[in-house]
Amino acid sequence: MAVLRRVVTRPSGTIPLIWLAVVGFCALFPTVVATHDPNAADFASLLEGPSGAHYFGTDELGRDTFSRVVDAARPAALAGLQAVSISLILGLPIGLFVGYAGGWWDRIVMRVVDAIFSLPGLILAFAIVAILGPGLTNAMYSVGFLFSLRVIRLVRGMVLSVREEPFIEAARLSGAPTTTVLGRYLLPNMMGPLIVQTTISFAAVLIIEAALSFLGLGVQQPDATWGSMLRDARSFQRDNPWIPWPPGLAITLTVLAFNTLGDTLRDVLAAGPGGGSKAPRRGVALGLADGATTAARPAVDDTADPDPEALLSVRNLSVIVPTSTGPAPAVRGLDVDLRPGEIVGLVGESGSGKTVSALAVAGLLPRGVTIDPGSRIHFDGQQLVGLTEARMAQVRGTGIGMIFQDPTASLNPALTVGYQLAEPLRIHHGLSRAAATDRSVELLDRVGVANPRERLRDYPHQFSGGMAQRVMIAMALASEPSLIIADEPTTALDVTTQRQVLELLVELCDDLSMAMLFITHDLGVVAEICDRAVVMYAGQAVETGDVHELFATPDHPYSRALLASVPLLDDDEDRLVTIPGRVPGPGEQIVGCRFASRCEQAHDACAAGPVDLVTLAGGDRSSRCLLSAAAVEDGA
Amino acid sequence: MTGSLLRVENLVVEFRGGGAFALRRETVTAVKDVSFHIGAGDAYGLVGESGSGKTTTGRCVLGLQAPTSGSITLGTDDVGELRKRDPQLLHQRIQAVFQNPIASLNPAMTVARILAEPLRRLVGMKDPAAARTRGEELLDAVRLPTDVLDRRPTELSGGMAQRVSIARALASSPSLIVLDEAVSALDVATQAQVINLLADLRDETGVSYLFIGHDLAVVRHLCDRIGVMSQGALVEEGTADQVCHSPQDDYTRRLLDAVPVPDPTVKRVRHGHTTR
Repeated sequence: MAVLRRVVTRPSGTIPLIWLAVVGFCALFPTVVATHDPNAADFASLLEGPSGAHYFGTDELGRDTFSRVVDAARPAALAGLQAVSISLILGLPIGLFVGYAGGWWDRIVMRVVDAIFSLPGLILAFAIVAILGPGLTNAMYSVGFLFSLRVIRLVRGMVLSVREEPFIEAARLSGAPTTTVLGRYLLPNMMGPLIVQTTISFAAVLIIEAALSFLGLGVQQPDATWGSMLRDARSFQRDNPWIPWPPGLAITLTVLAFNTLGDTLRDVLAAGPGGGSKAPRRGVALGLADGATTAARPAVDDTADPDPEALLSVRNLSVIVPTSTGPAPAVRGLDVDLRPGEIVGLVGESGSGKTVSALAVAGLLPRGVTIDPGSRIHFDGQQLVGLTEARMAQVRGTGIGMIFQDPTASLNPALTVGYQLAEPLRIHHGLSRAAATDRSVELLDRVGVANPRERLRDYPHQFSGGMAQRVMIAMALASEPSLIIADEPTTALDVTTQRQVLELLVELCDDLSMAMLFITHDLGVVAEICDRAVVMYAGQAVETGDVHELFATPDHPYSRALLASVPLLDDDEDRLVTIPGRVPGPGEQIVGCRFASRCEQAHDACAAGPVDLVTLAGGDRSSRCLLSAAAVEDGA
Repeated sequence: MTGSLLRVENLVVEFRGGGAFALRRETVTAVKDVSFHIGAGDAYGLVGESGSGKTTTGRCVLGLQAPTSGSITLGTDDVGELRKRDPQLLHQRIQAVFQNPIASLNPAMTVARILAEPLRRLVGMKDPAAARTRGEELLDAVRLPTDVLDRRPTELSGGMAQRVSIARALASSPSLIVLDEAVSALDVATQAQVINLLADLRDETGVSYLFIGHDLAVVRHLCDRIGVMSQGALVEEGTADQVCHSPQDDYTRRLLDAVPVPDPTVKRVRHGHTTR
């Protein structure tokens, strides 16, 4: 129902719905709307133009065109209902069954469906009508049959994609019989696309119905349908050009209404829970933003200029995400510097804002998530905030390489790895096909993929997780970037593969003098590969510094707690240290230290006001904690 | 060790490769002659990298995959035979928690419905009010507030969703839970909470675990005994301390060596890099 509400609030949803309601009313109560008997001939007024007596004029038998158009709404609606319900009654169970059963059933049914699909639909409809005889119902049987093939394909495809989800497995373990798994677990999760398909089918059915009636294969005289009215109008339109307009407009507007409604539904469903982007969903979905009604604007405390020696210099980065209580900052005034060749880790729990920060730097924020205009991201001397999408794509294509967590999801399963590697080389670097292939081979070889030339012809699913991640790294290297942004690149890999990929990344950074911004929640990985680390908590950097110092003497209580919660091989404590509570959401207004509510050392002053990131004694480290600030002052 | 609850003897699983139209079919042996026992109330860890056959072994224990040969016995019943005779009873006694927390829950159902399913089908608790009360108890057991009952999976964080999955597994009071990479997708802080929760639940309910994972540091914290699998075979088995502190097999040593250590001075992929 929330979906319906969101459809209604958009003009692209309201207008079609109003039109369809009008058509529906006409179909249900034609006598209420019609001004005349639609089939009553009046030879005194033949082929009249629009007038007060006949709104849309009259036809060659003097029948009132307005009343006939209204009357024709019923066969149109009936036709749509018949065809669409037949398509669903046939298509749904067959699609569900072949998708779930798989094997021979699937192969045979789908080959038959493909074969029928290869015939032109209208001609097939003619053939079926020719066998069953003319008449609207027969025509709609044939159209319904044709559309059931589409439903079979759609449903089967969705079943195949959902079938392997763990929740289906869990349903079986809960003792659910197959029919329940199909009806209660699979079907509800396919409703969105099904509703969209049904809406669009209605539009297509109307057109086919009109075409069949136009050709005299649908409703028989004297009953009116929009298609048959058009056919009759043909003989008279030379002298009476308005005659085809009323039925023509009725068809066009109704089809347009269904299609627009379908599009709107699809947009709304795609943005709803389960769809949409990850970053804002977390905030919205968890309902974390209790209480706060206005977005807390991060204090502009740092007006320091970007570091001119740094390759990447981020200053006062704030990223605004939508939450259930309005826009709120998921990142609050982050400063990060990366010098050429340096590896910097961005560490934190889910909800710390580390991934959003990385996406902001790469200019890849999902729709609806914005960078606060006061933020500065300097890369290679260029300010990236405010660049157009096209300019940003150019920066990514030539200077910044991206590696994501799930390599198989980041590669297009329908294209060979060779194509996906060579394509950007040809677009961004203007290489010929042969040169792009050679360079692809070189890149795969560089990331340690054996038999690179043969493997170019393979599809992503033929690569293991570790090998697929190597392919992603090769793609990131293609543009010879000076900066790699790696977002949890080894989290989905097992420890042995993780180690190999980490070794590769470090080696590449050294050999090609690339800098790397490495996003992870795994402190072990940070310790093994990073030069410096930024510990993030609830959108802020809480501690930064050289990894050796940071791990030896973590200053911020959160860094200490995070470090203590890592399971170790050689610690005899059976219980792991945990941090009570949870990370506050972007919309939660917290006056003081954002970690205070979970901190064992918190005291009254911690909640009193914002805590700044202060530089610790020794220079290159800073921490956002009142305790360390006091220590620094005592020492000074 | 108390009497064995689960006995896996000489388990072999082969998969036939190639499509139905392929002329030549290759047989892939996913599990090669694997045997181990889990005592009542024990936690057994099965460790190995992707493709080592550990997940396939877990699926056989759950009755989701038929073994090519070998036997799996739960108490006095053969799992394969029990699956044919009374699948509900098998599922009541062996439950599972999978890796991906959100995807393990049906997005179209509320948490209350998700928990009611096993209660209704496996325990025979038909009364919705009773199921709701039991659902509240289960959430309480996994340390979640009861208002979670009316939420949908997409409204939960990863850690919360995984607790709901654990609650669902506990619903039928099983004697064994297969935890297949159940904490791998969680971040460090949440992972620590869930590991502690699993340890507490074992103490409270006496349930046994078959814990499948790739990170020995994690597995060690929860399990009494650990089996190490490589390329389908069990290459080493022993108590958690034996396997982690005096590994006998080269592969185990490699696995131990690959565990990242949060201390830059211990072992480091990146050596001696200096920034200008």
